[in-house]
Amino acid sequence: MSSSNLKWRHVKAKGFRLLCTMVTWMGVVLLAVLLYHVTRQGLPWVDGQFLTSFPSRFPAKAGIKSALWGTVWLISLTAVISIPIGVAAAIYLEEYASKGKLSRFIEVNIANLAGVPSIVYGILGLVIFVRFMSLGRSVLAGSLTMSLLILPVIIITSREAIRAVPSSIRQAAYALGTTRWQVVRDQVLSSALPGMLTGVILALSRAIGETAPLIMIGALTYVAFTPEGPLDAFTALPIQIFNWASRPQAKFHQLAAGGIIVLLVVLLSMNALAILIRHRSERKNR
Amino acid sequence: MTTLSDNIFKTHKLTISYGSKPAVADVSFSVPRHRITAIIGPSGCGKSTLLRAFNRMNDFIPDVKMEGRILYLDQDIYGPNVDPVEIRKCIGMVFQKPNPFPKSIFKNVAWGPSINGYRGNIQELVEKSLQRAALWDEVSGRLEDSALALSGGQQQRLCIARALAMEPEVILMDEPCSALDPVSTARIEDLMGELKKRYTIVIVTHNMQQAARVSDLTGFFYQGELIEFGPTKQIFTKPQNKQTEDYITGRFG
Repeated sequence: MSSSNLKWRHVKAKGFRLLCTMVTWMGVVLLAVLLYHVTRQGLPWVDGQFLTSFPSRFPAKAGIKSALWGTVWLISLTAVISIPIGVAAAIYLEEYASKGKLSRFIEVNIANLAGVPSIVYGILGLVIFVRFMSLGRSVLAGSLTMSLLILPVIIITSREAIRAVPSSIRQAAYALGTTRWQVVRDQVLSSALPGMLTGVILALSRAIGETAPLIMIGALTYVAFTPEGPLDAFTALPIQIFNWASRPQAKFHQLAAGGIIVLLVVLLSMNALAILIRHRSERKNR
Repeated sequence: MTTLSDNIFKTHKLTISYGSKPAVADVSFSVPRHRITAIIGPSGCGKSTLLRAFNRMNDFIPDVKMEGRILYLDQDIYGPNVDPVEIRKCIGMVFQKPNPFPKSIFKNVAWGPSINGYRGNIQELVEKSLQRAALWDEVSGRLEDSALALSGGQQQRLCIARALAMEPEVILMDEPCSALDPVSTARIEDLMGELKKRYTIVIVTHNMQQAARVSDLTGFFYQGELIEFGPTKQIFTKPQNKQTEDYITGRFG
C-alpha cells in the first residue's frame, strides 16, 4: 500500500517536472520562431544606408536614423530624470521615512501606479507636460512622461534591493560612529547596487518599447531630422516600426522587421551593459 | 585610589522598556576601566538591551523608552547635547554573529577610521588593528581578499579589529562567541585578556563558564533586574543571593 503510494508520488513528481520543462521550452521556441521570422525578413535591409537615412516613401531609400536617434535621446533623458528620483525615493522610503500609516499608504499607491496602463500616463503627459508646461511635442515631454511611467518600477525594485541588505551590516556600520548618510552611501548602496541596476534596466527596457504614451503626447511619425536638443520634436523606434508595419506595401513590412532588429540590438546592448556593471560591482564587493 | 573617572560607565536607576514592558528595570552599577565586566543571565533577561544602551544602539529600535542615566566618563550619554555618532566612535561594538562588510579585509578595517577623517597612515592602522585582534598572521598576505572568504572565527576577529581601528575607549561585546566553535572561542577569550590592557570591555554572555574564565566583574541579571553584581570570583564561589546561586549551579536557566 505504502510502496504503491510512493510510486504514484514519483510519477506525479516526474509529471510536474515534464510540465515545467515543456512550458519553459514553449517560451524559448516561440521566441526563436519570432526572431527567425524577423531576422529573415528584416536582416537584408539592415545596413549602413538603413541606419543613416531618414524615412522615405521609397522603401529602398528609407532609413531609421531619426527614430534611432530619437530613441537614444528619449531613453538617455528618461534615465537622467528617472534614476536619481527613483533611487532617492527608494532610499528615503527605506532608510529615512518612519514606517507608519503614511509610508504604508505611499507603498500601496506606488505598487498600484506600476500597474496603470501606459496610455493613462500618455494622457497625463499630454495634459501636464505638453499643454500645461508648454513643452510641446518635444523629447523632454516624452522623457518626462516615460519617467512617470517607469518611476514606480524603479522605486519598487530599488526598495527591494535596499531591503535585502542585511540589517547586521547597517548595525556594524553605525556602531563605528558613522552618520546615516555615510552608512547609506558606503554600505547600503554598494550592497544594493546590483539589484537596483537590474530594476533600472528592466524599467528602461520597458520604456524603450513603449509606443502608446508617445503617440498620445504626439511624437511625430514622419521626422526627417534628428533632435538637436531636449526641446526638439522627435520620433522613436517603436513608432517608426508601427508606422511601417501599418502600411500596405510588403517592403515596408520588411523595413519594420529591420527596425525591430535595431530595437532589439539597442535593448540587448543596454542589458549587456547592466550585466557588465553588475559584475564589476559584485567583484569589487567580493 | 578610586576617583570617579576610574569608572568608565555608571548607570543610575536605569530602566529601559519596549512599549510598556520594561526589559531592564532600575539597574545601577559601575564598569571600571581596563577590566572585563561580564553580564550574565538567561535569555530574554534584558542583558543585550542593557549593552546596546551603552552605545545608543537602542536608538534604532522604535518605541524604546529610557529612564535613569548612563554616565560615560561622568557625562550623561543621553544628555541633550550629546551626538550618538560621537558616542559610538569611542565605544565600539562586536555583535553576536560575525558581520563583516561584504568588502575586502582591508576595507573592513579602514572604512570606519577613514570616514571619520583619520589623518595618520591608514596602512599602519589596519596592520596594528589586525595585530591586536590576533588576525594579522593569518591575513597579512591577502588584505584585498573578501572578508566573506574568512572562517567564522576569523570574521569575528576581523570585526574586533574593525572596532579597534577606531581606537575606542570601550568595546562592547554581545555574545561574541555564540556562533563560533570552541577553538575560535578560546582564541577570542585569549584575545580579550590581551585587549583589557588597553580597553575596557563589557561582554554579554549566556555562557557562564566563559564569564568565569574571562571576566573580572560579573553582573547577574534576571527578568530585567540586576540581582547581584561583584567580583567574578565572588559571584561564582560565594554568591550572596539565592537566585544567583541557583543560576550558576545550574538549577535553572
